[in-house]
Amino acid sequence: MQIMARRMIRVLLVEDEEINRVVARAALKAAMTGDGGDDDDGHVLDEAENGEVAVQRVRAAASAAPYDLILMDRQMPAMDGHEATRRIRAMGVTTPIVAVSSDGLPADVEAFIGAGADDFTSKPLTKEKLGNILSKFRLA
Amino acid sequence: MAAAALRDQLTALLSSMFTQGLVDEQFQQLQMLQDEGGTPGFVSEVVTLFCDDADRIINEIASLLEQPVVNFDKVDAYVHQLKGSSASVGAQKVKFTCMQFRQFCQDKSREGCLMALAVVRNDFYDLRNKFQTMLQLEQQIQAYDPKQQ
Repeated sequence: MQIMARRMIRVLLVEDEEINRVVARAALKAAMTGDGGDDDDGHVLDEAENGEVAVQRVRAAASAAPYDLILMDRQMPAMDGHEATRRIRAMGVTTPIVAVSSDGLPADVEAFIGAGADDFTSKPLTKEKLGNILSKFRLA
Repeated sequence: MAAAALRDQLTALLSSMFTQGLVDEQFQQLQMLQDEGGTPGFVSEVVTLFCDDADRIINEIASLLEQPVVNFDKVDAYVHQLKGSSASVGAQKVKFTCMQFRQFCQDKSREGCLMALAVVRNDFYDLRNKFQTMLQLEQQIQAYDPKQQ
């Protein structure tokens, strides 16, 4: 019998608000395990509190252990999500970037996609939304 | 008061919060994440973060609206932040008020913003009182049966 090793999924959450990071952390854990109760849920979550830090994290991880998914907020201090997405793409990084914002207007979505994001989801992040994102990018 | 009576009181409180539209399904999602994830104190952590954030943001907005020349973009950024925090905790009524508030910011209406601030402050204080009662009841229930968590 062949035993397949479960691949560790590396996720970068870019979000300046602590409350949103706390909720996203729990929802991602639940989405990865199905019920949220498994400690060994097969993912590593890094967090960045603004776009500038996100770009640094992505650059540092690129050669050693690149991210499998980036969840990107829009409005943040220092560097917003649009600019961070543009800079990450300019580095040649092809990791799926999913924009996360409470503004779901078509113009907001288009601006994010134009900057290089692959998808857009509205806040708050939930277990279901994250489950769909993981499935869409074949990470579940 | 017996634990069962406290639990009934908590159930009735939560039910009234949903019925009055103070909280929505996102708040249920948080309770589910806590129960399924075996992470006691998760809801309490999120609620406390929300209350601290909202209190600070409302004070910042009030201070901005007192200025002789109001920076509406800054006010809007704070309201956007409050809307995001409200959405994360499931504070439906506060979130809806923030959506209306942002329209006044875009219209650059000081009067409208002051009116919206009064409403959002009232909505928040009402919700915070309920959240505080909820957390107190949970603590009392926990004291009866520490294994409950």
